Order: sequence, then structure tokens, then C-alpha cells
Amino acid sequence: MHEEKIKRLASMKKSAESGGGTERTEAQHSKGKLTARERIALLLDEGTFVELDKYVTHRSDDPTLPKFYGDGAVTGFGTIAGRQVFVFSYDFTVLGGSLGEMTGKKISKAMDHAMKVGCPIIGIVDSGGARIQEGVSSLDGYGDIFFHNAMASGVIPQITASIGPCAGGAVYSPAMTDFVIMVENIGQMFVTGPEVVKEVLSQEVSFEELGGARAHATKSGVAHFIAKNEYECFDKIKKLVSFLPQNNTEEPAIVETNDDPNRIDADIINKLPENPYQQYDMKDIIKSVVDNGDFFEIHELFAENILVGFARMGGRTVGIIANQPQYLAGALDINSSNKAARFIRFCDAFNISIVTLVDTPGYLPGTDQEHNGIIRNGSKLLFAYCEATVPKITCIIGKAYGGAYIAMGSKNLRADINYAWPSAEIAVLGPEAAITIIHRRELKNAPNAIETKKKLAKEYRDKFANPYIAAEKGIIDVVIDPMETRPMIIQALNALANKKEPRPWKKHGNINL
Amino acid sequence: MEFKVDDLAEMLEGEVLRTTDNNSVLVKIGGKQHTLRLLKTGTSEFEFMLDNTFHFAKILQSSSAEVKLMIDGQPMTLKKHSKLTEVLEKASVLVGKGGGDRNLTSQIPGRVVNIVAKAGAEVKKGDVIVVLESMKMQVAVKAHKDGNLKEIKVKQGASVARNDVVAIIE
Amino acid sequence: MSKKITSILIANRGEIALRIIRACKEMGIKSIAIYSDEDVRAIHVKRADEAYHVGPAAPAQSYLIMAKIVEIAKAAGADAIHPGYGFLSENESFPEMCEKNGMIFIGPTAKAMEVTGDKMKCKAVMKKAKVQTVPGSDGIIEDVEKAANVAHEAGYPVLLKSAFGGGGRGIRLAGDEKQLRQEFEMASAESRAAFGKAALFVEKYLQRIRHIEFQLIRDSHGNGRHLFERECSIQRRHQKLIEMSPSPVVDQRTRERIGEIAVRAATAVDYLNAGTAEFLRDPEGNFYFIEINSRLQVEHPVTELVTGLDLVKLQIAVAQGEEIPFKQEDLKMNGCAIECRINAEDPFYEFAPSTGIVPNCNIPYGPGIRVDTYLYPGCNVSGYYDSLTAKLLAWGRDFNEARIRMRNALDEFTIEGINTTIPLYKTIMDEPNFIKGELSTDYLDRFKIFDKMNGDAKGEAKERAYAAVAAALLQSEFVKKAGAVQSAAAKSTWKLRG
Repeated sequence: MHEEKIKRLASMKKSAESGGGTERTEAQHSKGKLTARERIALLLDEGTFVELDKYVTHRSDDPTLPKFYGDGAVTGFGTIAGRQVFVFSYDFTVLGGSLGEMTGKKISKAMDHAMKVGCPIIGIVDSGGARIQEGVSSLDGYGDIFFHNAMASGVIPQITASIGPCAGGAVYSPAMTDFVIMVENIGQMFVTGPEVVKEVLSQEVSFEELGGARAHATKSGVAHFIAKNEYECFDKIKKLVSFLPQNNTEEPAIVETNDDPNRIDADIINKLPENPYQQYDMKDIIKSVVDNGDFFEIHELFAENILVGFARMGGRTVGIIANQPQYLAGALDINSSNKAARFIRFCDAFNISIVTLVDTPGYLPGTDQEHNGIIRNGSKLLFAYCEATVPKITCIIGKAYGGAYIAMGSKNLRADINYAWPSAEIAVLGPEAAITIIHRRELKNAPNAIETKKKLAKEYRDKFANPYIAAEKGIIDVVIDPMETRPMIIQALNALANKKEPRPWKKHGNINL
Repeated sequence: MEFKVDDLAEMLEGEVLRTTDNNSVLVKIGGKQHTLRLLKTGTSEFEFMLDNTFHFAKILQSSSAEVKLMIDGQPMTLKKHSKLTEVLEKASVLVGKGGGDRNLTSQIPGRVVNIVAKAGAEVKKGDVIVVLESMKMQVAVKAHKDGNLKEIKVKQGASVARNDVVAIIE
Repeated sequence: MSKKITSILIANRGEIALRIIRACKEMGIKSIAIYSDEDVRAIHVKRADEAYHVGPAAPAQSYLIMAKIVEIAKAAGADAIHPGYGFLSENESFPEMCEKNGMIFIGPTAKAMEVTGDKMKCKAVMKKAKVQTVPGSDGIIEDVEKAANVAHEAGYPVLLKSAFGGGGRGIRLAGDEKQLRQEFEMASAESRAAFGKAALFVEKYLQRIRHIEFQLIRDSHGNGRHLFERECSIQRRHQKLIEMSPSPVVDQRTRERIGEIAVRAATAVDYLNAGTAEFLRDPEGNFYFIEINSRLQVEHPVTELVTGLDLVKLQIAVAQGEEIPFKQEDLKMNGCAIECRINAEDPFYEFAPSTGIVPNCNIPYGPGIRVDTYLYPGCNVSGYYDSLTAKLLAWGRDFNEARIRMRNALDEFTIEGINTTIPLYKTIMDEPNFIKGELSTDYLDRFKIFDKMNGDAKGEAKERAYAAVAAALLQSEFVKKAGAVQSAAAKSTWKLRG
């Protein structure tokens, strides 16, 4: 009976779902990029996507600006592995994915919904930027999105996938989200593009070099992950989401991992070289200790001297932080302090326990570090550890000297359980440096300086470079047999599961940004 | 959803129509309807009757692009969304040299017994970079493209797993 | 010397260790196993009466250290050591060391091993015993005239082989005298450049050959028997893949004739215990002796199935000084047996080695099926040792019954977690030339078996496509439901917190 009306709905739907039209869709495909709806289909569970605001159009009366249903973004909700999420995906086929007043409203609305429901929000960015024709209304749209990002921060997980351009002020939204994943050769972010750079600074640089995935993953740290292609991008997002809770009132789900929590690894001690100056890969130790060797690394290519990422231990999601002796001998510096501090704060906001593995000789010296503010940035790491009230478990594997020892989840930063391997060396300074100070006179008068230095260093090492002095003072709770690292950490996690730790009331602290 | 089986040319359309009773599902595969009766489910293992034949499956790996599984004891890879894959494959063609795979990965697990090439050298596709030993066999890992051997990521004696990155060639 | 053995240390691992342990249990002999770090959970360790740690994973630091093994044997109170195959089984120092330490070595004497291990020495001994070997030079040839003479006598085409350096290198083909002279010059120059002198052998180049070997057993009383032949022509890079008995081209008369030659060969080297005389057979039906393998071989079950004998128990009996309890004429060939070596290699990917944990496996059984393996659900297939994971054998009253039983068993045999050569054998069992018995050492290339295998795989994939799609659909439904259940449970906290 109402056939006409049903027919009209069907044709409207078809029209809306064609985005900017077949020609523009083909253009998108020919660049090797998927459309907004295709991407959402890959991200969400089959058949679970409900699109909202499909027929929204812009309200501008600029005659040169055609109207398209959806106004350049596809928003709505669905599930990922059965868990509720909200998504928004810029539609590059509609006016270059530019953000106008209504586009902004759609996206803010999706973020509002996610906040009401308490579930993650995922944004797929592929946009030419602000819609010039809509003037201030566009900037208004961005401003509103930024506010929502800030409000949602620490309440629901926010993830951004950069699968296309994102320029100018628009980049600040992804920057405020918790995780950014960029697709190589397709995702690009920069505040000022190459043309302007050329004009103003006469510097020639390509889009990819300036703000491509690799640049942001290795140099700026803006990107937490790179994906080789769009499939990998969505797989990574799905995997990331599986580690997280829906919102800040929940804990991540405990998953059946079929890896015996009591599994001991007799071989683990062999991963640590006898010679404390020899490099090794901390990831080998992490993989041995976590469930099924599955370490989901974050910021893999940035500040490689520290490792951060998610894993499960006994089925519980944990945030792992560990020095990486393979790079800069595992020393701390500006970038690694920033990387780890932000990760700790994310884990703390979302009830994820923190496990820290320590092997660091100290902070990286030099004018580069000092003048760029290692003091300011290094303090962020200390602050973050102190602030966090989730269960914190630290295990000192090798060296832990001076301020870096303190910074890496030490007892006084209120880590709950502090373990140490028998190979742990906890000291104010490393042996070589220490003896030049303590035995300065003796060394000056020594007939054979090199031999004496060696002897004194060994004495120092034998006396101080062991965990027992700290253990005598209760700063290390247990010196453990390395092969038991995994069961010991899991037992601690289980014991601390219901941890509650009060903090003095404040609007928020003043972490040295 | 469209599925493409291993190297077979045809695509199969598959979708779930509805659940008929407690353990049966009506599905449409390749244009025809079939009854799927669930006998046993686990997180990644299923025993079921498709029409009147018994099958058992174990899902080994599932990603956006493909599903690797063992069906009745035989390994099989199903590629999903094949139409989209065509589009994406164009992207890697467009990228061409330089972008895409700088990573030279190992096809087999093994131990590094010989590092043949030197980092920094210019290499041609097919040049031997490292030699791995596994099960008393020596297998050479060869350069997958021409370029500059930027870095060799493995050390002598190291253990390498399948698909591990062995070197970077740019 | 006659001594009753009460306990045996098995200086090996994997399926052969388990095989020997079984024989020990049947004879009431205590079985002592050794294991490396890698084999801590291996099946032979579980089944042996006692097991001792011998070293780290690498064979050179564990299974190959004679002194350590003998030490363990003494400490464990073993009176004999069985070397299995591979590892130390053909190292003449091992039986020597065993003897010095008062252990019985279950195998040949050091002296016999020494002769059989040296191809040229062995050839000389065979010549004396009038056993036909591959025509060619008796020793190194340094002079082109001599080479030409030998080549002429043997008959062209011939192979020029370098005395040093192996693995297929330094082998040149000469189709006639002119080519021989050319190749000889070049080969000599190469040899001189690399090793300081020109040292070459000349050997007749046999084509379209079949590899046929005879199982031997000889006791300390001089009794030698042959236990019929095995045809092992289907090989890849000189590694046997399929063995069978009887050979399609060996009739009863030939069996008796060559069997007798094999026994003569064993006598000529004063062989003791079990061994195998290997022959090459050319298309004209001529048999040429190649060598004696002085150990129990991988494919020994093939012979066990067609003779009804237990070769390992026989080995132990001989080692105890007993006489072989049967006469040659008592033995009869019964039915047909085929063995497929299930290796952990990917036949679709140039036989790339495949290692790792096997989460689950289904080992076939039924009439006429025998499987010798170390696999069990959850076991580890290690990259430190060779790729043989299982020997699948099928016996039938005739070749066809054996072949079909093998085909069905291959279908039932599923191994998760690693790639295996099972698909290759499935193709071969149904391949017309195999069925006709048209075998030779170049069988795989000759009949383009790999192409056929790839085609068969496509066919199987097609059959299973629908079921696979159904499974994939089930999985995505399952994932959705599982997550939804989790979400429902957690809903309360968000709502409660204002």
C-alpha cells in the first residue's frame, strides 16, 4: 500500500550510500583507498553497523557548494567482536571529506553518544580539512570536536585511524585521542603543508616525508602504529580494542589465554648476557613472561630505547613498560620519558595494571638533551608513576642506576610490589663512574691505573651492584629466581586486583608539560 | 561477504540468513541455501553438519583480510572482501619502488649460520643475504628486490621464526 | 662371546628411540633413554624405563658426544648401547669406545664399519668377492689416458667425479671420448687449483636407475641371511621418500640371485648384525653394488611387514651372540608393504622446513596400517634435528591393497601446526606411473609429480570450499555473540557511577 514511500526510501538510501557519486568513488579506489562505508564494514562486525544522520546536508546558501547526503562523514554505531563502539569516518568522495558545520555536528553527536553509553569511539580520518566555503562555521565544527576529545579523554578510549590527509588545525583532534594509527603511503598529517613550507622557508619536502606514516611513527611520535595497508590498520585496531575496557569505570575483560600462569622458563636467564655491558633484546624476556608470547607493542619505532605496549598475564590485560638495552643501552631521554609517561597515564585512566621491567644505566647525557629539556620531560615519567593508582609491579632485571632507577617504577613512587633478579644492580652510579669519584685519590697515585680501576670496579660491583642491599631495606620486596618471573608477577597481579589507593583531592596536578 | 578460496579462481558468496532453532543456522553459500547444524563449539574449534555431511574446523588465524583454518584436517586460507583487496592491491602497485616492503622476511624458521651480505651494500633481487639452518638443511634467504641493504636485523646464531624480518632493503 | 643383555642405552631420539624401547620391553630388557634440553618432553623419554639428560639441544653438544653417552651408560648400569640410525651409528670410534668400556655395541664391528665407510676400500673388497660394482676406476686417476681407458671399458656416458669436495659439485658428464678429454683437462685444473692436485674418479653414468637394496643380517657365527629387497627409487636430492617391498621388477629368481650376492658382500667385509646392501639397477636389469649401510635403516619396518620378523629384537639377539634362528629357505615374502616418510617440510614451498608445536594430530590405524612416530598432541617438532616426524606404513596382500590402504591412511593422517609432505604422497599413491611400477630415481621430475600435486590440492580445496565458508561464517557469528555476552555483564558499572 505504501509502496511509493518504501520505494522512495530505497532510492534515498542508495543515493546517500553512493557518497560523492560513482566517479568520485572510482577516483578514490584508483588511488588505492577504500570508501568511508567500506572501511566501516571492515572495522565492525558484519551486519552490525547502524548509520545515523545519513541524510544530513549542509545549511550553507553558497550556490557553488553542492549538497550531498551525509555531508562528508559517515557516523553511527556497531560492534567489534561483539563490543559496542561508535565510529565516524570522513568521506573523501564528498567535497574532499572537508569538514563543514553539519559534518562537525554529526561527529560531535557520535562522540556525545559514545560518552553517554560509555564505549570506545573510533575515528577514520581522510579529509581535505576545513570547508573554506563555510568559513567560521567549519572552524566552529572543529572546535566542538576538540572539546569533545578533551572531555572524552580518560573516560572512553579514543582511537584515530589516519587513512588519508589531515592538515592544518584538524590534526589536533587525532593528537588528543589516545592512539593514532597511520596507513603507510596513504595517511598524512601536518600543520602546514609542503607548498606553504616551500613558499615560506624555501624548503622542498614531499607530503610523505613531511607528515607521512613513517615520519610520524619514527620522528614525531604522533603515530603510535603504522599499518602496511587498510586491512592491517583495522586488524590492529581490533586487536587494540580487545585489550581495553569499554570505559573508565570498567576493567578490561579477563580472557582465557590457555597459557599456564605457573609456567616457568628455565631458559630466561640465558637471554641476559653475562657481561653487563653487552646489549640484548628486552623483548625476548617480555615474550617469555607474557601469555603466549603476545606483546602488542605501541610506538614501536619511536624512542626505541624504551618499550611500551599491552599484553596479557594470566588472562589480565597489563601495560608493559621496559627499558630496551639494545638502543642507547636502555638509557632514558626526552622522547622515551614522554612515551612512557603518556602510556602510564592511559593505563591509569583505564584501570590497566602496569608491569615495569628495568635495565637502564641512567639518563642520556649531553647538551642536546639538557637544552631540549630532559629535566622537564624526565620529570613527567616520575610524575606519571606517582600519580597512577592502578596496581604497579616492577621487576629489576639488570642495571638500575641513579635517577633512572627511581624513575622506572621504584618503590618510592609507590609501586606496589618490587621484584629484582639476582643480576640486578641497584646503585647511585655505575661502577666505572662511581669509583672515579670515590677513589679519586687512590687512582691518581696508582702505579697501574688501568689495573687498579678494574680491581676497584669489581669490588664496587661485588659490594653494591646487587639487589640485596636494597632488599635489606625493604625497597626490593623479593629477590626472585628469574625462571619464576612470570608466576611471581601473575600472583602479584591477582593479589592486587582489588587495590584502592586514595589521593588528595585536587582539580588536577601540574605535571610539567 | 565474498570469500575466495586459496588459489581457486571463483568467489563464493556467504551469508547467515537466520537461526532456525537452538543449534541450527540457515546459511546461503554460493547462491544456495544450506542448513548448518552446530554440534560443538569452542573459541576457535567447531564441529558441524553442513547439510548431511560432518565437518570439523579449527580457526588458526582470523584478520580483516583473510581466515586461515583447518577444515577436516586440511589447511586452507579464505580471503575475505576480495573486491576490496583488488582496490588495495592497486595501492601497492602505485607505491612501487621504495615504499611498501622494505622488510625482507624469512619464509622458514631456523638459525642464522652465515651472514653473507654486508650492510650498506647494493644488492640485486635474488642475492643471498643470510643463510639459515633448520632440520639439518641450509636455506638461503635471498633479497626480494633490488636496492640498498640498509640493515641486517639478525645476528649469527640467532633464532628466526617464519615471517620474521631478516633485513631491510630500501 | 655370548652375554645376556639386561639393559640397553638407546643413543638416539625420536621415532627410532621409541622403536628400540618397544623391542626392549618385549624382551624384558631395561630401556635407558638419553635426551637433550630440546627433548625433555619427548615421547621416548616418557616411555623408557629410565632417562638421562645428555646436553643442550644441538646434536654436537649432546647426541654426538660419545664419551658422555658411554659415561651415562656405565652410570646407569647398561650392558649394551643401540645407536639407532644417523648420529653415531656409523662412526667406527663408537663401537671401539663401547668395547673399551665393556659395553656391547648393537651393530657391526669397528673394523667392518671402517671398510664399509670407505667407498674405494669397499669397492676393492667387492671386486675380490666378485660382486659387481658400478663400472669405473678402482681408485684415483691422475692421467687422462688412464681415464679414457677406464671410460672405454665401462662404457659411455661416464661421470668424472672429484675425489675431494662433494655434494654434487665437481661432477662432470662426458658422452664420448672427445668430451672426456676436454672435461678431464678442466676438472683436473679445477682440482689442482682448489686442492693442489688433480684427483678424479671415473664412473659409468647410469640413467633411469632404480635404487634397490637388500636387508642383511649376519651373526657372530658366520651365518648371513638376506631378508629380501626394498625398492627406494622415489627420492628427492638423494633422500628417500617412499620405500616398498617387493620391488615391481624383482621376481623370485632375481631375488634369490641378488640376495645371494648381497650375503656374499656381507661376508666379504665380515659384517656383523643388521645392515643393508644397496644396489643400482639399470633399465636392462643389471644390478650394481653401491655400498653397505652399516646400521639399521629408517625403512626397516617395510621388511618387517613382509617377513613377519622383528629386526630390532634380531639385532639384540645377534648382539648377545646368538645364532640367527632361521635358515634362508625358511623365509617367505608375504604380501606387499609401502612406507611413506612423513617429513616436516612444505612440499608446496620447495620443501621448506617446518617446525613448532603440534597442538593436535590424528594418527591413522586400521587393518594393515602401522605408524612409527614420535608425534603426540602437544609435542614439539624441533629445528635442531632432522625433519622425519613419522613413518606411515601400509601392508596389503598385494600391491594394490597396500596402495589403497596407504591412500586412505594419508587422508586420515592430520597433523596440526606444521606443514608435512602428506599431500605429495596422496598424489603419488594415485599416480598411474607409480601404480604401473614405473619407478626410477628421477621419478618426481620425470612425471612432473609436483605439478600433479598442485592440481590435486586445488581439487581438494574446491571440495572443501563450502564447508570452509560455513566455518568462517560460524566463527564470525561466534565472535559477535561472545563479545556481546561480555558487554552485557559489564554494563552495570557505567550506569551506576553517576
